[in-house]
Amino acid sequence: MGIPEIEDAGCLLCFGYNGADSHPIVARRIVRGKQKGMKIICVDPRVTETARISDMHLQLKGGSNLALVNAMANVIWNEGLADIKFIEEHTNGFDEFLKVIEKYTPEYAETISHVPAEEIRKAARLYATTKPAMILYGMGVCQFTQAVDVVKGLANLALMTGNFGGPSMGIGPVRGQNNVQGACDMGALPNCYPGYQSVTDPEIRAKFEKAWGVPLSDKVGCAITHVPHRVLEEKDETKRIHAYYIFGEDPAQSDPDLAEIRETLDKCDFVVMQDIYMNKTGLHADVILPSTAWGEHDGVYTCADRGFQRIRKVIEPDPGLKTDWQIIQEISTAMGYPMHYENTEEIWNEMIDLCPSFKGATYEKMEKYGSVQWPCRDKSMEDKGTPYLHKGGKFATKDNRGVFYATDWHPPMELENDEYPMSLSTVREVGHYSVRTMTGNCRTLRNLEDEPGWVQMNTQDCERMGLVKGELVKILSKRGYCITRCLPTDRVKPGATYMTYQWWIGACNELTNAKLDPISNTPEYKYCACRVEKIKDQEWAENHVKELYDEIRTQMGITAGKGDH
Amino acid sequence: MALKEIQSTCAYCGAGCQILFRVDEAANKIVEAVPANGRTNAGTLCLKGHYGWDYLNDPQILTKRLRKPMIRKGGKKSPLVEVSWEEAIQYVADRLNEIKAKYGPDAIMGTGSARGPGNEANYLMQKFMRACIGTNNVDHCARI
Amino acid sequence: MNYFVKGNPDLCIGCRTCMIGCVVAHEGKHIFEVDPDSYTFNPRLHMVKTAKISVPVQCKHCENPACMAACPAGAIQMKDHAVIIDTSKCMGCKSCMDACPFGAIDMVTEAGKFQADGKERVVANKCDLCSGIPGGPACVRVCPTAALTLVKEDELADAMEKKRMEAARNLFRDNQE
Repeated sequence: MGIPEIEDAGCLLCFGYNGADSHPIVARRIVRGKQKGMKIICVDPRVTETARISDMHLQLKGGSNLALVNAMANVIWNEGLADIKFIEEHTNGFDEFLKVIEKYTPEYAETISHVPAEEIRKAARLYATTKPAMILYGMGVCQFTQAVDVVKGLANLALMTGNFGGPSMGIGPVRGQNNVQGACDMGALPNCYPGYQSVTDPEIRAKFEKAWGVPLSDKVGCAITHVPHRVLEEKDETKRIHAYYIFGEDPAQSDPDLAEIRETLDKCDFVVMQDIYMNKTGLHADVILPSTAWGEHDGVYTCADRGFQRIRKVIEPDPGLKTDWQIIQEISTAMGYPMHYENTEEIWNEMIDLCPSFKGATYEKMEKYGSVQWPCRDKSMEDKGTPYLHKGGKFATKDNRGVFYATDWHPPMELENDEYPMSLSTVREVGHYSVRTMTGNCRTLRNLEDEPGWVQMNTQDCERMGLVKGELVKILSKRGYCITRCLPTDRVKPGATYMTYQWWIGACNELTNAKLDPISNTPEYKYCACRVEKIKDQEWAENHVKELYDEIRTQMGITAGKGDH
Repeated sequence: MALKEIQSTCAYCGAGCQILFRVDEAANKIVEAVPANGRTNAGTLCLKGHYGWDYLNDPQILTKRLRKPMIRKGGKKSPLVEVSWEEAIQYVADRLNEIKAKYGPDAIMGTGSARGPGNEANYLMQKFMRACIGTNNVDHCARI
Repeated sequence: MNYFVKGNPDLCIGCRTCMIGCVVAHEGKHIFEVDPDSYTFNPRLHMVKTAKISVPVQCKHCENPACMAACPAGAIQMKDHAVIIDTSKCMGCKSCMDACPFGAIDMVTEAGKFQADGKERVVANKCDLCSGIPGGPACVRVCPTAALTLVKEDELADAMEKKRMEAARNLFRDNQE
């Protein structure tokens, strides 16, 4: 589906997705949909902006996603709301699926999710009976150890109600960072070449070997979230990671359990960092390579709905800088594998000729149409791309049939306990992006929100602990702690806390748990156990935060200015 | 003063909004960013799209812009020393070749970037890891 | 009659683009180039979020403004359909802030201007409907969800007529159906 189609859905199931903070311009489509009469079911442990305008808000307990999804499937089947014709004609695996969801009665799911059984029934009915129905999901689904299972669970709902293959239906992951889709499309993945072509398929490998003129490895590579383990715990020297070339990322800020990440970077023999700004990873890097930034180079991004769009050089970079692709090709050439590209279009043309689903998406077409959604297989100007997938209920499987997969719910890996009685989930700050090296250096965005950030807590919890808005608090997990400001709000439930991961002082990833989903290898950012402590001496705390900020700025090479804190 | 108008895609989320930058070419600076009529944004922008570009003039608020390649010549924990591009590129190439010779290609890990660099740089990075280094050890922060 | 900017919580997504838009309109585009500590960030509207509502709150440009009546310096005037503070006359007494029932006025420092004790000058600050700024209120212009509208006489008359129609329908629903 495409982003513009959202507002024309009859029903939107918005699951673990907070568009207002992560993608305001997608949230705009949800607001417009509501104005046009779209029914909204919002599933989120917080009262998000979407929850506020929704027809039904299922304020589930964090970590109970799959129980709720399976219960919705259970209701749809038991109340005769499934699209049997679609199931028979276009899918496989339905009977096995039924066996799993059988036990997920709304009453059983209520005990796990704390959502009343009757509400689950109503939501399932609303979703199944309003056409077309669309599902959007975000990090509130993906950042759990049980993530892929929930994505499949949501796909089950769309399959069993026939909500695939037309406009304003289906299931849409709204990707977080601007070019996550693009990095995946380009094969920055351990198991795929560009265009989602498997590294273990001999025919495909042969194609790339021929194009690139060298033999290629048939072994799936290491996932980024396995790097700490492969550096710190791997005993076999040939399997240990000895060199880490980090390009446009800051794992020492963005990854879970930062203490472990710092140890990893220090114990890895050789760390190269290629970036635009000094960052926390740079403190541990052996080599730093400065590159051009967004606004200083050409290229293509892929947006969340598979749209290829051009980025253009807006201003001339400092003459001492090179673009990322220039740096990579120079290193490659120096290592004995020569690369000689003159511009990004040359690289792009090599890439599309190797990827059937991207083959037709030329620069010329992007210039002319602005945006080209893949698959776009033909270079003729008539092939303008594909707004939605699975047209006519045809899926990208061998027999063109969609497959039901069901699994049982399991709780998050680290639950509240006596020592750490509350839960912590990471969320987004609307005015800041990712690790904040860009927006943290934008004047007005910094004015709006700055260090050390906030921890959102229920007002009852705050009253009990004697905390007021803006007060500095210490928040701890068994892995680490940080200092941040208290934000009492009735938008979150008692016992739960939420922190945005953009802050360097209020760095919630000091606390988060590095346990991974077994398939996607995504960490469980959305759930770990924590404790909030009141700081008696607020004057000391305010000074301490100021000192920490000064220390960071000094480490990052800033000598001028007083900052604003 | 005639301003040049250049359209680009916003770098701050997956919505893919189109922004029109008005640029003073002589001074090599952006004067303002206004919403363009893109497929997904239809003439609207959020606060990051409107006001998220002045990091380019290096205001030194949180961190400092990197301008020269640097190497820790005295090993881990030693200070970073500015070097020429030639030296930096050769140093990285030599160290990676050395590690590859000693432990094999799977001892080297590389990342793509889901942020500013763009698709072509990601394509080249994975090609570099696969064809030059000889490993599929390449991944990016999609999971983060 | 005075105009005012009205926020619609059904459309607002709480993103605060309006707050920055306000500052940029009043400070000027140069703030994207200058020393980050050399200007002040004083939005004239503020996002308010309760459990169920998100909406920016700003001056309603009252017809009989309590702030104007309370100002001993005569610094608050009505002009161009707006209630406007002349900060050069403001003595920082906070009477207007105290008098305003909507919390629409706050006290802020003016960058680069100093008062008797050598500290940066503190004055009253509130929405002026972007008086003198081409294009009208910046908050309305930058809002990505069109949650803010400038309400003028015509809009008010239309809205009131619609409300009266609605009221009439509701009152006599039984007869109609």
